[in-house]
Amino acid sequence: MSSETDQQLPAGAPAPLTIKELNTENPRWCAGCGDFSIIMAVKRFMVNKQLPPHMTVNVSGIGCSGRAPFYINAYGVHAIHGRAIPVALGLRLARPDLNIFIHSGDGDALSIGGNHLIHGINKNFKCVFIMYDNELYALTKSQTSPTTRKGHKTNTQPTGTYLDPIIPTSLAIGVGGSFVASTADWMPDHLVKTLEAAFAHPGFAFVHVSQRCPHFDPDNFDHKTSAWFSFLTHEKGIPPDSRLADKTEVVQHDPSNKEDAFKYASSQRTYFGLFYQNPNKPRYDEILQNLIKQAPATTLESMFEEFKI
Amino acid sequence: MSVEKCHVSRFELLMDAGFGAQKAGDILIRGFAHTGRYVYIEPMFPAEISPPIRTRAALSGVIVRVADFDLKNIGNNTDIIVAQHEIVLDRRLDDAEHNPKCRVLLDMGDKKANEEAYENACKRLAKLGLTVFPFDITEKAIAVIKSLSGKGKNMYYIGMLSAIYNVAEEVMLTEIKAMFGEKLEEDILNKNIEIFHCGYDYAKIHVPFSFLIDEKYPAKEERILIDGNAALSMGIINAGIKLVSGYPITPASSILHTLAKTFPSFGGVVHQAEDEISAIGTAIGSYFGGVPALTATSGPGLSLKQEFIGYASVAEIPLIVVDVQRSGPSTGMPTKTEQSDLPAAVYGSHGDHTKVVIGVGNVLDCYYAPALARYLAEKLRLPVFIMSDFNMANSYKIIKKPPVANMKTADDIPDYILNHFWINRLPDKIEMVRTEQAVPGTPGKMRRVTGLNTDSTGTVNYFAETNQRSHAVRNEKIHHVQRCLKEPELFGKVKEGDLLVVGWGTMRGPIAEAVHACQDQGLSVGGMCFRIIYPMPLILNDIFRRFKKVVTVEMAYGDAYKRTPLAMFLRTKTLVDVNPMVCRATGRPISPLTIRERIKETIKEMGKT
Repeated sequence: MSSETDQQLPAGAPAPLTIKELNTENPRWCAGCGDFSIIMAVKRFMVNKQLPPHMTVNVSGIGCSGRAPFYINAYGVHAIHGRAIPVALGLRLARPDLNIFIHSGDGDALSIGGNHLIHGINKNFKCVFIMYDNELYALTKSQTSPTTRKGHKTNTQPTGTYLDPIIPTSLAIGVGGSFVASTADWMPDHLVKTLEAAFAHPGFAFVHVSQRCPHFDPDNFDHKTSAWFSFLTHEKGIPPDSRLADKTEVVQHDPSNKEDAFKYASSQRTYFGLFYQNPNKPRYDEILQNLIKQAPATTLESMFEEFKI
Repeated sequence: MSVEKCHVSRFELLMDAGFGAQKAGDILIRGFAHTGRYVYIEPMFPAEISPPIRTRAALSGVIVRVADFDLKNIGNNTDIIVAQHEIVLDRRLDDAEHNPKCRVLLDMGDKKANEEAYENACKRLAKLGLTVFPFDITEKAIAVIKSLSGKGKNMYYIGMLSAIYNVAEEVMLTEIKAMFGEKLEEDILNKNIEIFHCGYDYAKIHVPFSFLIDEKYPAKEERILIDGNAALSMGIINAGIKLVSGYPITPASSILHTLAKTFPSFGGVVHQAEDEISAIGTAIGSYFGGVPALTATSGPGLSLKQEFIGYASVAEIPLIVVDVQRSGPSTGMPTKTEQSDLPAAVYGSHGDHTKVVIGVGNVLDCYYAPALARYLAEKLRLPVFIMSDFNMANSYKIIKKPPVANMKTADDIPDYILNHFWINRLPDKIEMVRTEQAVPGTPGKMRRVTGLNTDSTGTVNYFAETNQRSHAVRNEKIHHVQRCLKEPELFGKVKEGDLLVVGWGTMRGPIAEAVHACQDQGLSVGGMCFRIIYPMPLILNDIFRRFKKVVTVEMAYGDAYKRTPLAMFLRTKTLVDVNPMVCRATGRPISPLTIRERIKETIKEMGKT
């Protein structure tokens, strides 16, 4: 099968891909929703890479983020709640030629789909996993999610969310993630660069995106200032956002250093950038496809010989 | 040793789990089969690996039916029991599946330490009127067994049963060597063979009776000995399916085991998922990518998969689900059989959704079913079920080597498979909810699928008319199937008359055998078993009207107030007063004898009213 990374249109192809061709209907999201920025970044990335939309599949679960595939004119599967990863794995095993992006919210990925996330990361099958983290359930009207900050009031925990949140990047590194990065919807340059690094990664690329929810949690994520977060960068990492690089701290961090990666992921301070990468982790999809390549040829007729009496 | 000639005989070997009863069964049936006898074997084993020995829970055994005619089921009561000790014997006698003349060969090896228990067991046998032949494994054999750390008694019993059924020693030796030759070191293999000879010699001298069953089937015909799950696995390859996903569950796991070794040679992937839901999701993902996929499970897994099943129906993604039924509800009895998953298969997922359900009744059905399932799933773009059960999955049977179709596309399905399931080819054009059904990789046809309602362009739509249309289009797919279904085969010569006995899946063999026997005695009774259980053929009413009374035989619970699943479906479909005639959820198959007796009683009762 052809490599996933080399499907750019041949030079001189008549019509290069543009954002316009990737648009479908008007998204049914609230005004100011961070999801707009995320799908725009995906489209910009596809245009930059000239990724053929017919070779690209967006797979999602349920929630506001679940609608993302509808608004990108590629192939798409809007699956059931929490189960985008199993569907994406099936596609990957069946069609190694396709580019696969998974769109999943914090509830979808870490709550109902938590088991699949652990095993998707561990199987390390080739895909870009984008976690839309608005830190609550929005489509169902403001309930506490696994990443809701402690004390934040929701419809199910009206006196304030009871528990400390799960830290997605820390979890992803902890269960053996081979690519763990974090970015935010309001820094398009960094978001696109992160997607590029994720797409180039040979395995399961976990991309955490802090996402604004102006409807249910307008005070979360102060996107107008930048002193509250830092960028992680490195020659093997992701460059800081071009617009914000000189407005906040930029930390040199070698993404092959897992110990430091944990430290930054579990810090009280917010870090954006590439936390951890191991390009050599074995891929489940590759292993299974190699089994086929290496299997001796046989026929059903000869298999029946084993049952012969 | 006297020799009784007979056409059919059934014996049981009862042992503690972990001592090789299943292996012994395998060796014995291969020996019988190689000498031209028909066999059918049903294994009995606990859900646990090694329950404490000498307990009732430890019973692991095989029931073997041998005949000089083609066998379609495990048959009636047992003629010979060989038991390792009194406890497994006592446990099995509870099932009351022995003949009044059944002969019991009881190993007295454990008697010294359990005098009273042995006496009680013998008293029970005497009360039941069964003849007991107590025996001790010879000292020579005991010494060899000791050197094998207590293992090898099964070889002794194989020897005894070979002598009792007049199978030459060389025949069984070949089978023993074929089974263990590569697995055991030479001196261990030789010790096992020595024990076998001891058992054989012992029985020749000390067992006063033996049976001789003619060698019947033509030597020229190529035949295979295969169990339901292996046949299904071969059928999966034959159907051109390229991805099989599952989560370990009894009794479906052996499909994964069989394919794991061979599937890559056919370009196939065996995927063991992290859970049941993931397994079905992966099959759906593969099929959306245009690569035929199947997920195999059993009852508890079916419950977990239900949301995705409804999704596949609405998103119009083809899907094949195998449900090897076991005794439920909940965890139930994992190594016992039942047919109670039918409503969960037909109506399981929430909301109105559509699917086709195939029920397999013999190993040939198992082999052909994946091809039909693929054809229907892809033509209709909906989930198709293959319903098997524990007994079907684990029972071996000899069949003529079946033809190979090697399907590349759904349309490659041969007519003989469609005819086998009594269905005509579907019309070329079948309307879908969404007009465009392109597979990823097709330029210019990009589309998104969803579980939300959509219009014919695939755009999400919550309007009344559109939703009603989606339902109509989905249901019309099933109506196409109904219109293509032909009249199912009626057993024997009775096509109209007093009583019609209806079943599905593995009840076919026992019903057919019982109905034929009753017809031979001049009773006006017909029999019928569905191979496609949902939807049902339109012609059903016409068939039912030709009989005064219609009843079902089902391995499912029913009583005066609760109707069994099949009876319920048939009533709804035909408005005929269908009731279950035999319905049991005991975990044991229903025997032809039981059905025969109930047929006679039912016809007698009908005469009175």
